[in-house]
Parts: sequence; structure tokens; C-alpha cells
Amino acid sequence: MSLQALLNEYNCPEGIWDEMCDAGKIRKHYDKVVTTFGTLDVPALQQKDVLAGELFMNQGITFTVYSDNKGIERIFPFDIIPRIITGKEWDVVEKGIQQRLKALNLFLKDIYSGQQILKDGIIPAALISSCPHYLREVHGIQVPNDIYVHISGIDLIRGDDGKFYILEDNLRTPSGVSYMLENREVTKRIFPDMFAANNVRVIHNYPLILYQILLQLAATQISNPTVVLLTPGMYNSAYYEHTYLARQMGISLVEGRDLVIDDHKVYMKTTNGLQQVHVIYRRIDDEYLDPLVFNPKSVLGVPGLMSAYRKGNVAIVNAIGNGVADDKAVYAYVPAMIRYYLNEEPILQNVPTYELSDPEAKEHVFKNIRKMVVKRTNQSGGYGMVMGNTISEEDWEKAKAEIEKDPRSFIAQPIVQLSTVPCFINGKFAPRHVDFRPYALCGPEGVRIVPGGLTRVALKEGSLVVNSSQGGGSKDTWVVDL
Amino acid sequence: MLSRIADSLFWLSRYMERADGLLRATSTHYILSLDNVVMGAMTWKPVLEIFTTKNEEEIRQLEHDTAASLHTLLTDVNNQNSLKVVITRARENARGAQDHVTKEVWEEINALYHLLNQPTISERQGEQDVIQMMQLFSQHSLLYTGVADVTMPRGLGWSFMNLGKFIERCFEVIVMADKHYERIGYNLHEENVIIQWKELLFSLSGYELHLKTYRGADYNHNVLHQVLFNDDFPHSVLYSLTRIEKYLKDIVAENPSPGNANLLRCFGRLYSRVQYMDPKSIDSGSLKSFLADIREDLLQFSNALGQNFFSYQ
Repeated sequence: MSLQALLNEYNCPEGIWDEMCDAGKIRKHYDKVVTTFGTLDVPALQQKDVLAGELFMNQGITFTVYSDNKGIERIFPFDIIPRIITGKEWDVVEKGIQQRLKALNLFLKDIYSGQQILKDGIIPAALISSCPHYLREVHGIQVPNDIYVHISGIDLIRGDDGKFYILEDNLRTPSGVSYMLENREVTKRIFPDMFAANNVRVIHNYPLILYQILLQLAATQISNPTVVLLTPGMYNSAYYEHTYLARQMGISLVEGRDLVIDDHKVYMKTTNGLQQVHVIYRRIDDEYLDPLVFNPKSVLGVPGLMSAYRKGNVAIVNAIGNGVADDKAVYAYVPAMIRYYLNEEPILQNVPTYELSDPEAKEHVFKNIRKMVVKRTNQSGGYGMVMGNTISEEDWEKAKAEIEKDPRSFIAQPIVQLSTVPCFINGKFAPRHVDFRPYALCGPEGVRIVPGGLTRVALKEGSLVVNSSQGGGSKDTWVVDL
Repeated sequence: MLSRIADSLFWLSRYMERADGLLRATSTHYILSLDNVVMGAMTWKPVLEIFTTKNEEEIRQLEHDTAASLHTLLTDVNNQNSLKVVITRARENARGAQDHVTKEVWEEINALYHLLNQPTISERQGEQDVIQMMQLFSQHSLLYTGVADVTMPRGLGWSFMNLGKFIERCFEVIVMADKHYERIGYNLHEENVIIQWKELLFSLSGYELHLKTYRGADYNHNVLHQVLFNDDFPHSVLYSLTRIEKYLKDIVAENPSPGNANLLRCFGRLYSRVQYMDPKSIDSGSLKSFLADIREDLLQFSNALGQNFFSYQ
């Protein structure tokens, strides 16, 4: 069967925004892709699909799924049809994220110093003090250029009205950027002509921008600062990404056991003795960073690291304690933060969020659970999530008991029908739900976002859960100028 | 360079060299063992003794069973030195130092690892394509060597990799030579035929060189000269030590440290012991102790190297 016939068969679901189709018609920015597909047949596309899989496997681009006993490594499923966003849409997203990060940075500075926002009653103090990621240990520490969030992944979804909404802020150690970059490389390999014809904005300078920002964070008197990437080690699920970024930036990839603190300075153990480290891009969570201050059982961290950080002898990226700003309950207050700190209206809207610590909201959610998704405030990766439309009565009773025990740890949101994109599955085009995570970099010169991001796709039919740990895949994301 | 990275590169290379030696020895032994007429009482005992940590009793049970021996040597995960375990360890080390090996090297090791972890591999072992299978592994092992040589940047990392490779090779040659001379009770004057040295020479890829280089029928002395002192033979002890000297010097020059003096002394003692040895002066009485001594020296040197550069734990 020709692809054209398959495309004609593609039926976009009712009441949901489809990225390619609009009431049976192909959207303009998908024109060229559809034309290219018209010249191919199914076996040719299948061949490209196989090639893409091989490229990922041979390069060892794998991640680890903890609950899967079959083996530690798996390929991140990749769908070969790109997801396309127009330059115009992108510009709104870019401005919205820039605005949001500006406010979030100001919030973090405020919350770890004067706490004006609490005093003015914009955010309830109890919400902050009950947040497990609010760290008193970093209160009052001055960070370079007042930047706390250097690297962030902001999760966006597109609702049925075609508008992008913020779903989640990831301000601690967001991962996935290597997939964004590798997806692009693979697309270039399998669709060279189609890619060239589409005028896609470039993203490959991401590691260079990141490296520039990391360099700028070192104390100014150091002419040639040593920057390292701190990884939990090769058994971490994102280890491939750590090696990828270290390689692309030309910096050392270190583990906690490679570092040692002496006289409040950080050194790495080299064959040539100790060498001072000035900037650490860490991919280890706060609580494992320093066993002397946080989790004493941590063997991933470096004893004494906090003392060096406090003295300003080392810059740590992202700053410690950011978790307070991407807590899912604090998320509801980000629009208020934007108004409070910037005196602006938020460009990108939140998804409405109910805090279950509020009895009225809880009652409302419990009544309407079939239309709701309940999330844990301090979990990511789709763990501990309750999808109200699919959960069984029995499981819901269990979940309800959990919520009653500690309502502060849960929020609920109405289920948003994520937009769909055509995917090439079993030799057919089928609509699947997607979200979108652009990666923003914040340095002394402002917020920069490479035009693109990771589109995560829920490969199971009808599923709205896109997390890689829950069977999601990814797509290359093009920002095109028409 | 981070000590941990140096350590990983060193061991990556040691394990890959070990895999290569293991494969060569195993397939040579397998092929020769088919030839019952010549090698009447040949068993897997010597190979198992060199490449596994099995005790005498376990080896006695295994030595006449080709399929079981091959399984032990190639895919048994309970044998700490089986091909599968060795390659897995090599890959772990490559993963730990992934940003220091080239993409090509990583992909080659990864491919070999995936090949060995195919679910059907154990079944194939017992069947007729066992030779083909070992050949395929050998090819990958050679490919790795070539890919590493062509793509790896020269520098500290490369030097540590080569130290690992040649230290491993040196150990391997000493142990294998010892095992083969033990068979004849270290008696260099016992009459022998070349057939009996074939296994050692093939296992070290030195049979052709032997035929081309050595004349006369004093095979015991000739083979000994070849595996210990022939500096044109890439699997001789002297050749390996010469390479070790080069890479050691490169590393020491870049890493001035107080432990270097001891390390160089340690190596110098070993190197001169072999380099300035008069091959003719080795006789039946001194061969065993000579092999034991150089092995001991090599072990000491290897430990000193680790203490000097890799002590990061």
C-alpha cells in the first residue's frame, strides 16, 4: 500500500487537537512532509524505522527501567515521523518560558533569603515549610549571578484549543536533552532531503551554550576554570546522557568517589595528583550530594561539598534546593509569582490544579475523580500517578486511603486531552498523544532556549502517560519557519 | 586524567587482551584435539588450568568433556574468567570511561557484548558451528584492536590502555609457556617433535614465524627463545616488556609523582632480567625458577602501577 493511501486513512480523533490534521485537512506546516511520504511506500518507511532502531542500539543510547527485571538497558522507543511546530507558535512558547524562569529564579532567591513573598501572603508559608525539597541548609547562600535554575526542562502540553499549557516545571536535574539532540541526528540520517527542505531551526549548539554558561559561573579571577559533570555512575538511568553531554562539552565526567574536599575546596583525583574543580554540573539529587549534610548513607556524593559551596569555592549547577520551586503544589502559585515579581500577566497558562490539603478541593476531586489525574507533589517520571478515567474501584479506594494519610503530598488536575501526532506503528499511521519539553538555559546573559525540545509520545493507544519509564517514546521536534 | 578513568581504560584493555588470548588458546586446543591420531591423550586440563579458577577435582571432571569445557571457558557466568564474564567486564570498564574511548571503540565492544548475550549462544556451542562461533568472536576481538588503533587519540588514555594490554599479554605468555614446559618436566634435553609445540605456538600466533626463523630440531630451546626473547615476535615476553617500557615512560613524563621512582625501579629490575639474560644460560634446572621469578616481578610491578596511579577508592 502506498503511504498516500495510508495518510488518507489517518483519522484524527474528535475533540482533540491533532498536530497534523485540522478537520480532515493537512495543516500547512505538515505539507512538505506529507508530500515526501507520498513518494514512499510502506516497506521503504519500515526500512527507515529499522535503521533508526539500529542506530540507537549500536550507539548504546539506552536507558534503565527500574521495575523491569528483564535487563537493565532498553532503547528509548523512537517514532520516525517528526512533530512540527511553527516558528510563530514557538515564539510564544519561548517568551512564556523566559518569563516563567525569570520569576522562578527570583522566587528561589527570595525564598532562601528574605522570604518577602511569604510575608506578603502570596504563597502560604505552610506550603513551603512542608515541602520536602525546601532545604534550610542552603538558606542565605549566595549563588553566582543570583541564578538558581541554569538548566530546566519545562513540560508543556497542547490542549484541544490549540494553546500550549505548562504542565510541570523541572528545575532540579531534568533529563532527556541528549535524546532531543540524538533524535535530530537520526532524523537527518533517515530523511536527509525532507529535513533539508523544511527549513528547520537548529538545535545542535545546545552543548556549546551550556558549556559557555558553566564557564561563566566560575569565579572571575580564574582564567581557565575546571568544569566537571558529576554523575551517580553507570547504573543511573540517564548515564548515557551524562557521557553524551560530557563528551560534547569536552569536560570530565566524574563520580562522587573521584572528588575530595580539602580546605573547603573541591579537587578531583587524577593520575597527576589533585586538581581543583571550579564548576560542577551535577546530575545527582540534592539529598545525595553531601553525606555530611543530607542523607548520611549516600555513597554517591562528596563529603564536605556543602562547605565548599557555602564558601563560594565551587559553583553547583543547578543550585541546591531548587526542588521547592518545582514542587507540584507550589506549581499552582507560579502565575501569582509572575504577577508578584514581574508585574506581568503570565504568557503561558497553568493547568488548573487542586491542592488536596484543602478539604474543599479534595471533596471536589473525590467527587469528580473520573475526570481527574492525581499526582504526588514530589515524584516525577509518572510514578505514583492516578489516572481517574482508567483506575479500578478497588485501586482508587487504596489510593484514597493514601491521600487521606498525607493530603499535602498530592495534587489533582483535570485530565487534559493532550494533542495527538501521527505515529508510524505496525505499518500504519495512528494518532498518539504527546507532550513537549523544551530545554531552557539560564546564564548571566539571560534565558536561552534552543528552538526545539523533546516530544514524548504515549505509544499505547489512547494512553495519556508519556513518561519513558511508563512505556513512552519520543519524536524529533521541528520548529519550522514557513 | 582521572585516576578512575585511567583504571578503567587499563582494565578495559586487559580484559580485551585476555579475551583474545582465551579465544586463541581455546580454538587452537579444540582444533588440535580433533586430531586424535597425533594427540592421543589430549585433554582440556591445561587450558582449564590457565583460564579458569577451578580446583583439581573440578578440572578432572571436566577435562574429557569437550562441550562442558567449552561452556566453562566461553559462556559460563560462574567461571570468573569465561569469555562472557571477561567481555562483560571490559564493557563495564568502557562504560565507566565512555567519554574517553571513541564512539567506534565503544560500539565495537558493545557489539561483541550483545553477540555474546544472544539467547541462542549456549545452544550453538555444543553443535558443529562451534568453530565458526569462535572465529566470529575472534574477528570481533581483532576488529576491536584495529578500531582502537585507528581511532583512539594518542595520549595518556592510550598509554594506560597499552600498559594494560601488554601487562596482560606478558602474564599470559609466561603462564602458557610454564604450563607447556611443565608437561616435559622442564627438561630441555628431552627429545621432542614440533607437533608437540604446535599448540603453544598456534595459541600465540607464532607457528609460522617459528618455521621461518628457527632451523634445527632443538625445538625445546628454540620455542623457549621465541616466546621469551624474540623481539620480533609480538607475543614474546621481551617484546611486551619493550612496549611496556615505552608507555610507562610516556606516562611518568606526564605525571611527576613521588611514587614514580619506585615504579621505574620495579620495572627496570624485571626488564633487565629478561633483556640481559643469555638465553643459552637457561637450563633444565633453572627454567622453572626463571619463569616464576619474572612472573613475580611482573606482579609486583603491576601492583606498584596500580598504587601509583589508580588509588582513588
